[in-house]
Amino acid sequence: MKNLLEHTGIAPGRLHFSWISSAESTKFVDVVKKITEEVKALEPALNYAKTEPKVN
Amino acid sequence: MAENEPKILSFLCNWCSYGAADLAGVSRMEYPPNIRVIRIPCTGRMSPKFILAGLRRGADAVWVSG
Amino acid sequence: MITFKLNGQTVQGEKGQFIIQVAEKYGVEIPTLCNHKALEPAGMCRICTVELFDGRRSRFVTACNYPIWEGMEVKTDTKLVHEGRKLIVELLLARCPEVPAVQQLAAKYDIAEIRFTKDTDTCILCGLCTRVCEKMGARAISMTGRGVDMKVDTPYHLNTDACFGCGACAFLCPTGHITIEKINREHTRQKMQLIPSEYDMGLKGRKPVYVPYAQAVPNTPAIDRDVCMHFKAGGCQICMEFCGVDAINHKMEDEIIELEVGSIILAPGFKPFDPSRFDAYGYAKHPNVITSMEMERFLSASGPTGGHLVRPSDHQEPKKIAWFQCVGSRDLNRCDNSYCSSVCCMYAIKEATIAKEHAGKDLDCAIFFMDMRTPGKEFERFYESAREKHGVRFLRSRVHTIDPLPDGNELSVRYVTEDGKTIVEKFDIIVLSIGLETPPELVDLARRLDIELTPGNFCKTESFNPVATSREGIFVCGAFQGPKDIPQSVIDASAAAAAAGEMLTSARNTMTRKKEKVPETNVIGDRPKIGVFVCKCGSNIAGVVDVPAVRDYAAALPYVEYVSDSLYSCSQDSQQTMAQIIQQKGLNRVVVAACTPKTHEPLFQETLINAGLNKYLFEMTNIRNHDSWVHKNNPKLATEKAKDLVRMAVAKVALMEPLKETELSIHQTAMVIGGGISGMTTAKSLADQGYETHLIERGDRLGGQAVNLFHTAQGDDIQQKLSALIGSVESNGNVKIHLNTEITKVEGFVGNFVSTLSNNGASETIEHGIAVLATGAAPHVPTEYDYGKDPRVLTTLELDRKLIADDPGLKKLNAAAFIQCVGSREPQRQYCSRVCCTHSIENALELKKRNPDMSIYILYRDIRTYGEKEYLYREAREKGIIFIRYSIDKKPVVTAKDGELTVTVTDHVLGRPMALSVDMIALATAIIPYGDEKLANFFKVPMNADGFFIEKHAKLGPSEFATDGTFLCGMAHYPKPIDESIAQAKAASSRAVTLLSQKTIFSSGTIAQVETVKCASCGVCVSLCPYSAPAFIAEGRFAGTAEINPVLCKGCGLCVASCRSGAIHLKGFDTDQIFSQIFELADAI
Repeated sequence: MKNLLEHTGIAPGRLHFSWISSAESTKFVDVVKKITEEVKALEPALNYAKTEPKVN
Repeated sequence: MAENEPKILSFLCNWCSYGAADLAGVSRMEYPPNIRVIRIPCTGRMSPKFILAGLRRGADAVWVSG
Repeated sequence: MITFKLNGQTVQGEKGQFIIQVAEKYGVEIPTLCNHKALEPAGMCRICTVELFDGRRSRFVTACNYPIWEGMEVKTDTKLVHEGRKLIVELLLARCPEVPAVQQLAAKYDIAEIRFTKDTDTCILCGLCTRVCEKMGARAISMTGRGVDMKVDTPYHLNTDACFGCGACAFLCPTGHITIEKINREHTRQKMQLIPSEYDMGLKGRKPVYVPYAQAVPNTPAIDRDVCMHFKAGGCQICMEFCGVDAINHKMEDEIIELEVGSIILAPGFKPFDPSRFDAYGYAKHPNVITSMEMERFLSASGPTGGHLVRPSDHQEPKKIAWFQCVGSRDLNRCDNSYCSSVCCMYAIKEATIAKEHAGKDLDCAIFFMDMRTPGKEFERFYESAREKHGVRFLRSRVHTIDPLPDGNELSVRYVTEDGKTIVEKFDIIVLSIGLETPPELVDLARRLDIELTPGNFCKTESFNPVATSREGIFVCGAFQGPKDIPQSVIDASAAAAAAGEMLTSARNTMTRKKEKVPETNVIGDRPKIGVFVCKCGSNIAGVVDVPAVRDYAAALPYVEYVSDSLYSCSQDSQQTMAQIIQQKGLNRVVVAACTPKTHEPLFQETLINAGLNKYLFEMTNIRNHDSWVHKNNPKLATEKAKDLVRMAVAKVALMEPLKETELSIHQTAMVIGGGISGMTTAKSLADQGYETHLIERGDRLGGQAVNLFHTAQGDDIQQKLSALIGSVESNGNVKIHLNTEITKVEGFVGNFVSTLSNNGASETIEHGIAVLATGAAPHVPTEYDYGKDPRVLTTLELDRKLIADDPGLKKLNAAAFIQCVGSREPQRQYCSRVCCTHSIENALELKKRNPDMSIYILYRDIRTYGEKEYLYREAREKGIIFIRYSIDKKPVVTAKDGELTVTVTDHVLGRPMALSVDMIALATAIIPYGDEKLANFFKVPMNADGFFIEKHAKLGPSEFATDGTFLCGMAHYPKPIDESIAQAKAASSRAVTLLSQKTIFSSGTIAQVETVKCASCGVCVSLCPYSAPAFIAEGRFAGTAEINPVLCKGCGLCVASCRSGAIHLKGFDTDQIFSQIFELADAI
């Protein structure tokens, strides 16, 4: 999936997967923080959105 | 929306990460307000189409968590 | 309502409110040091000064204690106000130049230098402490002295009994003038202590009003009367003022409630052993000697260190950790617990593995043990992987003393290795693997209930009735019956329920009430009319998220007809109002923006049903747990997020359709496969509870493996009890016994199975609602140790038969040897057969009884007499039975030369081979499952690599399969002794009855459905589903396409995502519904 995104020109940092059990609230918070930071570090996603004509 | 406040489309499994998110709330932990949660019954429900649709429609990132 | 002007804005407040309260409501900030919501305002610090215009002239008043009145005009930000406050802050700073709270204010008011004489005080005389002390009802401190000598103190500056050491003054003190140390030193005679959190093993404190732990049921706070100030001093009750729903009543008293019951089940559990009485370990003295229960908390993400592993003495990361096994277990010298606590070996291995996962590979974990006891399902593999994969060290040595090193952190231990070397090693943390114990209050309870206890103070039960106490009608489960782990406790619990159910069958459903049903409105084809209800949750949501703004935002969304907000949506009156509104406004879709659907969705769905709406026309969005609680420092973005979430929910709910819950009747007949002890017990239990039961046995007799067994560990005569059980099953009118019978075909699913039986070629079909697999296991036939070549080498089962037959040859033996682990715990069969150690020791003792002069050797790898079976091990050693340990790479060698039978074993103490001349060798052979693929396929249930069936959940669902309507018990699950087999057999019956007794079940509405015309018959869904819900349609127009059984479907959506034709839809979470949520989110960006 990540490879496909890279192929279409979307940074792989825009897709994240994780596995967290329902008791791991600390891990949940850590993951949210990490992802948010990573995404903020990327350029705003302007390259592939908003201007795209609606297909559906 | 300010540019440095990205929106992260999040698919959380009802039984795992959604529960963890609930517990994070109960424990009054703090985290950035950038995620938007869609509750799914199980990560098995996830389809690549959802990820692509989210990104194409302008979500800054997609997060899938089981 | 009083209307007045605040900074030119017209504002409203309640009569009796003060200016500062109204200002806060309207977001106007007024600084204060002496005001607190819980206390009467006093106007002490004067920083809240504002300008008041009363129609004629302006004057200055303190906002905290000036009541509002109609028509007044208040200004908080004029130059005069600013300068007035600045002067007050400057005076305060002169008095207390070192106090951070004052320094911060000074910085805010740009005070660079102080024009007054500097003092060194830290008290600003705000009076919060004296007011709260009075409020608490203690009145221990007050303002003493006058003028410049005024200060906060106790009368005559003496330590007083009036102070309870509650710490409220220190908690409220804005300057840090009052500290807990100061209270203990100067004020109180009742020294202040942290209230230890029971859940965190005292490693953390807790409040007097508390929820024991995050997942506690019920999840409502309780007041600890022993520490609550109201119960000590009569004051406080601040919690009552703050509770938005008036739920707190301090006057509630303990009630004695009398219940008339037909049966009692005891599940009081155990107490962890307290190691402080062992001086040599210094648990009470050294912070780095901790118990395993404390270690659990250190490793937990919700624990005192947030899952970060630290050395308690200095909070540094540890490099070396040791576990000491058998602390408070298998020990008669230092405590009275000579039993094995059963669970400690596994939890120590688990803790060591998790510690390594947390802290990384470099952490050294060593476990000091006597025998490594991992006889549970999948336990041996876990032990192997801890040693081989994770590098946990296992040291067979019992350490006597822990020596603290002078640095106060490290601990030194001296131990002897297996080859006799003495080693001194240092550790950062030593974990005492404490055992399980029955606390004195339970011993007392047992006495009052008049039930017998074992020597270890556990509840006495019999092998063939493992959950029945010595008193009729009282049953027991869990660790009070004997030290045991979670799976066994869960099995016992179900078994106790079955035992009580058997007794009370005639009373079933006699005290139930039926619910009235509101007819459902048909909304199909109607335009969506959505009602959005936003909850404030007191201030839980409204304190952060701007609820009115979210509500008004929702009103503008498409199809939204009605919006409202409420203080507590979940309260009973809100629910009634909601149902009324749904009916009055003709709403056909509902969104509730509140807390988590995981706890509250059923409640709101109930409201929909009461309003005549299908419960699936509902969506809940979580603006509390996922929003207000976690973004409290960012109200603006939190409100944005809440709007997004509401919009997504509205978009989704518009697409919701009323869903039907399929009703299915449960055939009131059971089928039990396997006629051994487990199968018979289940059949009898089901039959006794009134269900017709078919008992299928492929052999020509009932009894299974038990016909070969002599005595149980408790000394019960198995043959006698077995024939009694067979007799009771045969004479039970509800049990239909099918001997010599195989199953050739199984169709159907939960509630409606149709099985075809074949009996010597004659075939018969049976309809049944549930099936229990109790197919048992078989003994391993050894190929080593000259078995089959020399008649003197036999298996322990063959020895049992000789014992049953009272073989006179046994008395004549001079020497006998038992070899353990024959076929078990080997690379090709990596599990422990659980029963063999006890079985061999039991037989060895019986041989000793028959011929006390006989020399008996037991060659073993680890003796695994878990629980109170340990007594047998001790007795065997006392009676002179010799135990010699061997390792798997140096197995014993059996030779028969010149008619003399010799077994040679390398003794681990001497390190050299030892030849034992014996007359008989008994091999403790492994227990092998049948691994019946055919049966597994019939019922669509899985098997593990060894061939044992895999239960629904290793801990919480040990007696049922993931596929509904199928259950398991006995050795088909894992090797186990008779008492555990019987417990699990009853457990399977109990689980089955919970289904059978419903007579009809409803499937969930949120399940997958196939759009037949799109199905390509690829079969991916059929092979993928963990619950066997999809199947191919056998005949008719759509033959060959897939169909999903709504009863078996759990709605996980795996098939939906896997379907390449897009033919499967998951109702309630369908693709277009999820897309609508995605699009709604995106459209706002």
